[in-house]
Amino acid sequence: MRRRPNHLAGAGSLVWLFLIGLPLYVMVSATLKSQSEFAQDGPLALPDDFTLDNYTGAFDTGFGRYFLNTLLVTVCVVGIVLLLVPPLSYAIVRSRGRVTTGVFRLFLLGLAIPLQAVIVPMFYLISEAGLYDNLVGVILPTAAFCLPVSALILSGTMRDISRELFEAMAMDGATPRRVFFQLVLPLSRGGLSTIVVFSALQAWNGFLFPLVLTQSDSSKVITLGLYNFKTERGIDAPGLLAAVVLSMIPVLLVYLFARRALVQGLMGVGGK
Amino acid sequence: MTTQMTRVRPAAPPERRRRARTRTANVAGVGRPGFLWAAPATLFFAAFAVVPLLMVVVLSFMSWDGIGDPEFTGLDNWRRVLDDPVMIKSIWLSLLLTGLGVAIQTPLSILLGVWAAGNQKNRAVLSAIYFVPLLLSATAVAVVWGALLDPNFGVPAEATWLFGDGNLYGEQASAIGVLAFVSTWQFTPFHTLIYQGAARAVPPVLYQAAEVDGAGRYRQFFHITLPQLRNAMITSMILMVVGGLTTFETVLILTQGGPGTDTTISAYYMYERAFRSFDYGAGAAIALVLVLAATLISLVMVRLSGYDKMRSTTEGL
Amino acid sequence: MKTRRRMPRILAGGVALGLALTLAGCGDDGGSASGENEFTVLVYGDATNEVEKKLVAEFNKTSEVKARLDTIPGADYQQKLQTIISTPQAPDVFFHWGGGSIKPFVDADLLLPLDDFVKKDPGLKDNFLPSVFDASVVDGKAYGIPMRGTQPVLLFHNKKVLDEAGVQPPETWDDLLAAVEELKDAGVTPIALGGGDMWPTQMWFQYLYDRIAGPELFQQALDGDKEAWESEDSRKALGMIRELVDAGAFGDTYDSVKFTNNGSAQLVASGKAGFELMGSWYYSTQQSLNEEFAAEDLGYSAFPAVDGGKGDPANLAGNTNNYYSVMKKAEHPEAIAEFLKLMYSDTFVKDQLSIGNLPTTTNTADFLDQAASPEYSTYQYDLVAEAPHFQLSWDQAYPQSAATDMHKAVQQFFNGGLDADGFISAMQALPTS
Repeated sequence: MRRRPNHLAGAGSLVWLFLIGLPLYVMVSATLKSQSEFAQDGPLALPDDFTLDNYTGAFDTGFGRYFLNTLLVTVCVVGIVLLLVPPLSYAIVRSRGRVTTGVFRLFLLGLAIPLQAVIVPMFYLISEAGLYDNLVGVILPTAAFCLPVSALILSGTMRDISRELFEAMAMDGATPRRVFFQLVLPLSRGGLSTIVVFSALQAWNGFLFPLVLTQSDSSKVITLGLYNFKTERGIDAPGLLAAVVLSMIPVLLVYLFARRALVQGLMGVGGK
Repeated sequence: MTTQMTRVRPAAPPERRRRARTRTANVAGVGRPGFLWAAPATLFFAAFAVVPLLMVVVLSFMSWDGIGDPEFTGLDNWRRVLDDPVMIKSIWLSLLLTGLGVAIQTPLSILLGVWAAGNQKNRAVLSAIYFVPLLLSATAVAVVWGALLDPNFGVPAEATWLFGDGNLYGEQASAIGVLAFVSTWQFTPFHTLIYQGAARAVPPVLYQAAEVDGAGRYRQFFHITLPQLRNAMITSMILMVVGGLTTFETVLILTQGGPGTDTTISAYYMYERAFRSFDYGAGAAIALVLVLAATLISLVMVRLSGYDKMRSTTEGL
Repeated sequence: MKTRRRMPRILAGGVALGLALTLAGCGDDGGSASGENEFTVLVYGDATNEVEKKLVAEFNKTSEVKARLDTIPGADYQQKLQTIISTPQAPDVFFHWGGGSIKPFVDADLLLPLDDFVKKDPGLKDNFLPSVFDASVVDGKAYGIPMRGTQPVLLFHNKKVLDEAGVQPPETWDDLLAAVEELKDAGVTPIALGGGDMWPTQMWFQYLYDRIAGPELFQQALDGDKEAWESEDSRKALGMIRELVDAGAFGDTYDSVKFTNNGSAQLVASGKAGFELMGSWYYSTQQSLNEEFAAEDLGYSAFPAVDGGKGDPANLAGNTNNYYSVMKKAEHPEAIAEFLKLMYSDTFVKDQLSIGNLPTTTNTADFLDQAASPEYSTYQYDLVAEAPHFQLSWDQAYPQSAATDMHKAVQQFFNGGLDADGFISAMQALPTS
């Protein structure tokens, strides 16, 4: 039924490709230019003499260390989110209690808390806990602020599981735990991969929490390292962008992987 | 607080399992999860988000510049904030930008999401590219768009028919346009992802049935796909509204609230008061206005759409 | 089904991870309060960190008490400092801009007056240019030791563009107005301005006020005399700025041009604009963008004199220097005093010069030939040494909390959003120390 090519959609997607692609082109081509070439020929010109200096330069600034720190933060944040959100969403969607409705509202409220607003109290909490300048002190609040969006997304997905399936399992005398593992989780893979991608991105690109909650070089993450490229007066755009491109690659891989998982998961559903 | 949390978290899974079992005994046959399933996440969230927020509430009644001891000043911050013409203006600007965001991004991400949900190879490749803006940190966005929108060396210099003299940040209308456009560029991919997942979950039976009835592509889209995306739409729109109201990075890196205060939205204004002018009390009050507004709007959306009732789009199949 | 079995495993992995995480948290007890025999030095993160790292390494070789250098990303330095300064996490020694930026810390009794250090080693004061050292004196007590370079604001130009339009670097304001007309006729933007950043716009105000009214007017305003902004000289300065803007000196798009993304510097380098008023770092900015242009066609001169003005035409404005201040709570003041002495050592001066900074020690003159560009450094050094007054940038002289509103007022006056009266009342509303 979907064989017939859809020209309108094709054209539309090309326009969007141009809008998305132009800045990305500027970014990648800039990393292959020297700073003076980027400035003189403008952002749109093709690189004349290719140089990889920007990439090697990025590594020279301690990028490797920052990279490992960021990786640790990201893996832990995603782990915490995966651990906490599925049961939460399951309860939100299936529980009949007043309390869970309250919980849902609490997370709706949480959705609206701007990070900047709580950063000062957060600093005091983390300091009191003795976690200042410690990556654990970054991981915990970052994960906490991933919860509302993740819960909302995953609950949305879980809501779409048809009631008949739940009823069928209940007839078999399945416990909530069995329902959760055998029905809910497998059918929520789309939502799960979305929240993995979302929380990985939040952790990977997180700036404010690491800025305020860490200090020494040994606990710096990439986003902070990137900023050291940027001086207040003047900026080395190609060098900065090279570091940005390098730092993007792992998250892009997570996305591609999560996406494949998503496709597989749905094929599993289709095969039933 | 924190030490308590670190103890609760690792202990939670075994406990949850145990409780789940006892629950089963009580509600055998129904198989509904109890509150305890939600408890670990709720406690964790309470410790790291709700507690700081409560501290913000307290701070909003105090005068503090970050140094020395805060002093209670009662309603002073609130009075100042609610009387401040810039604050009132910033609320309207926030609503305007949020509205623009929802109006532009919703149709766009629905179309893209549904399109990307197809199984064609080229779509997989393209949607990977479409996804990339989401990966960029604020710094990168600032550098790339700064270079692209420079009136003398960027796109405006090449396309004067579209941009005129290119003084995009010099006037309110064009500055707002730039903000809306860059936000769209940055955040549409995420919403596309939500719609893509939802569009994939539409049971193929529905399309097969429609095909049998002789429904064309557009009728299928409006009569099957769109209704099936309802939950995704609500999720995505709540995120857009809340995200729109609390965005400040885009403003920080592109316009810094200028020209003058013409793009100073509330979230940015809060940042300015708290971290540029070190008036944490006023910043806290502005933040709470935002939290309240965003929560109210999302509650209304949830209520109107019946999202909080356990309704599934696949019901009645 | 395969998929069903894989999910619990992911969850189990998550549990294990959570446990590991907590353990890691227990093992590594954080907190950055300095260790036993250590003091923390907090600096603004940028290219100069290279020199600072080297200096700390040098110091740690011989000192029993070690220094630990922490860098904070530049744009957020002030925010971070303000958050931690009154907590146990505060550093022992920190970087700042002098003037209003440490006044609140002094008022809160957080800083150690350095007069005792100076008493023990008079070199900590005598080895620096007095005007620079004094910019960090608050309430009669010394609180800062100069630690980077001085950065006066100069009027830069593209020699080729000026030649082609038949224009000379202006010595007076009238020269500048005439040059603007000539350059407009030649089809270039007379003056490049990164108005999108707002602080470059302010440079025009601080120089014109100084030329017309002398440093006294601004000092009066800073001391809390709001009338100063309404004075005749103030209105005269505003009138002259208005005249310059209305003459089209800055073109139409200055609000969309930024210095921080090299937009305005590139305008000058590419010959699309003639002048730009900018801090002395401009030279190295141009060098990294276009080495050939910086070497051959980049010219510089002091801000023009204003006929009949009360201010000395040799007065400068800009960043006097950066400073290290010491916290009262610091546990190793003797070691810190030793550390601060390095700020006038020969190696320090040479290292700063080699990366293009201009230290303000009295022995700087001896090493000027070793600077990245000796001619330029010498020019600057002479200006600074001979300046009767060095006006600290307005946004740094005022308390930090005033900067945003000041920048907005300046931007709005330029683009017509505020008239003279509006600007005056905006400046009067700023908090003063």
